[in-house]
Amino acid sequence: MSNSDAAPVAPIISVTGVSKWYGAFQVLTDVSLSVAKGEKVVICGPSGSGKSTLIRCLNQLEQHQQGSIVVDGIELGKSESAAQAVRREVGMVFQHFNLFPHLDLVQNCVLAPMSVRGMSRRAAEAMAVKLLERVRLGEHAHKYPSQLSGGQQQRAAIARALCMEPRVMLFDEPTSALDPEMVGEVLDTMRGLAAEGMTMMIVTHEMGFARQVADRVVFMDRGQIVEQAPPAAFFGAPVHERTRRFLSQVLH
Amino acid sequence: MTLDFSVILDNWQLFASGLWMTLVVALLSIAAGFLLAIPVAIMALSHRRWLRTIAGAYVEWFRNIPFIVVLYIFFYGLPFMGLRLPEPVVGGIALAFYASTYFSEVIRGAVLAVPKGQLEAARAVGMSYFMGMREVVAPQTLRLLLPPSTNTAISMIKETSVLSTITVAEITYQGLVVQGATFAPFEVFLTTAALYWLITSAFAHGMHRVERAAGAAQGSQQARHSLADKYLQLGMRRNK
Repeated sequence: MSNSDAAPVAPIISVTGVSKWYGAFQVLTDVSLSVAKGEKVVICGPSGSGKSTLIRCLNQLEQHQQGSIVVDGIELGKSESAAQAVRREVGMVFQHFNLFPHLDLVQNCVLAPMSVRGMSRRAAEAMAVKLLERVRLGEHAHKYPSQLSGGQQQRAAIARALCMEPRVMLFDEPTSALDPEMVGEVLDTMRGLAAEGMTMMIVTHEMGFARQVADRVVFMDRGQIVEQAPPAAFFGAPVHERTRRFLSQVLH
Repeated sequence: MTLDFSVILDNWQLFASGLWMTLVVALLSIAAGFLLAIPVAIMALSHRRWLRTIAGAYVEWFRNIPFIVVLYIFFYGLPFMGLRLPEPVVGGIALAFYASTYFSEVIRGAVLAVPKGQLEAARAVGMSYFMGMREVVAPQTLRLLLPPSTNTAISMIKETSVLSTITVAEITYQGLVVQGATFAPFEVFLTTAALYWLITSAFAHGMHRVERAAGAAQGSQQARHSLADKYLQLGMRRNK
């Protein structure tokens, strides 16, 4: 599954020398990273290391102040329209699901395809139902988020993102807010997506998942990328002391 | 001392016309005030500092002076600007501006109460800020908006009595007229009070039904904790 020897295709995401500050506090320091089409990259690191901030910069929910981010050929940070163009192609799944509570699952799914892409209600609903079935929520299609378990809500959130037919999916700690028994169903859904060749960037503490699914694991600490390697090398022979310390904590 | 309510019956037309005037002025100025409050709230929520400053100054100004002074500024000021309007219109305009500051704070609070992740999720699927506010945030503010709006509206209904000072023939003004003719202050002003009570409690009752309808539309879908439900209803009752 390793992609490190992939052909020299233009990366779908390329981050070059990105820095970001919250006031005087620097959250990202000279971060560079590129992701090839179809690649699955897991980002891990201690809390406050800047991993969520980094993927939130990729769809400009956060703005970077230095460096360049190019996603699917679009340079970000120049204008709001560039950010919107990228968001149309890049789906995001949040830690707290962020489903729209006043809409049922189908309505959650069709809102953006209809309002952003101008899809007809008929076509959008057909796609929503198909994708909800794919995340095994077919029989819940007309329920509201509050009627579902956390795991079901997160799968619905994945379906909602997929309804925009994204070229890249970003996952910001998708299982951190879930009860332990629901983590598996969400990870299974993500495995399915990975198997279909979706380009994925995943911030997670699920190291078992990273080992199985990732082409590359990126370790961040204090706003910097400390180390990145294919999972076998990353878990088998971490180079940096900080990585080793982190792994000893999360792998018990 | 005995109360003789025949003086009220003898002058019922005055009270009836006062009641009608109060109703018309209150409803129109509350509606106008709420509409005016929407752009003020949008400005107050803007990420542009100068818009926030303008909205903040507007709210601060009106909120920290008594309504009667606002009324005098409009009533005595407008003719100097060459605008001569009937008293009820001037009074209604002054009340609309005054109410808009309170309503704008209510709207701002309701928007801020919607979790930040909602707008982020809307933007993440490609919606613009405006679209996200309209399709995702605004519908979720409705239930948050109703109880405090009812409170504000009731305060404004009572503030209409101040318009009697510029001779708008609403309930309090008519009360004064009848009092001057009959010298029966208790009968007159207890009747006046009863008429206000009638309007505000009918309004509160109506709004409570709207709240329940809006709550039922979402409540049937949202399994809210029963304790939370109880608390929210207590809040509404107390706020009345």
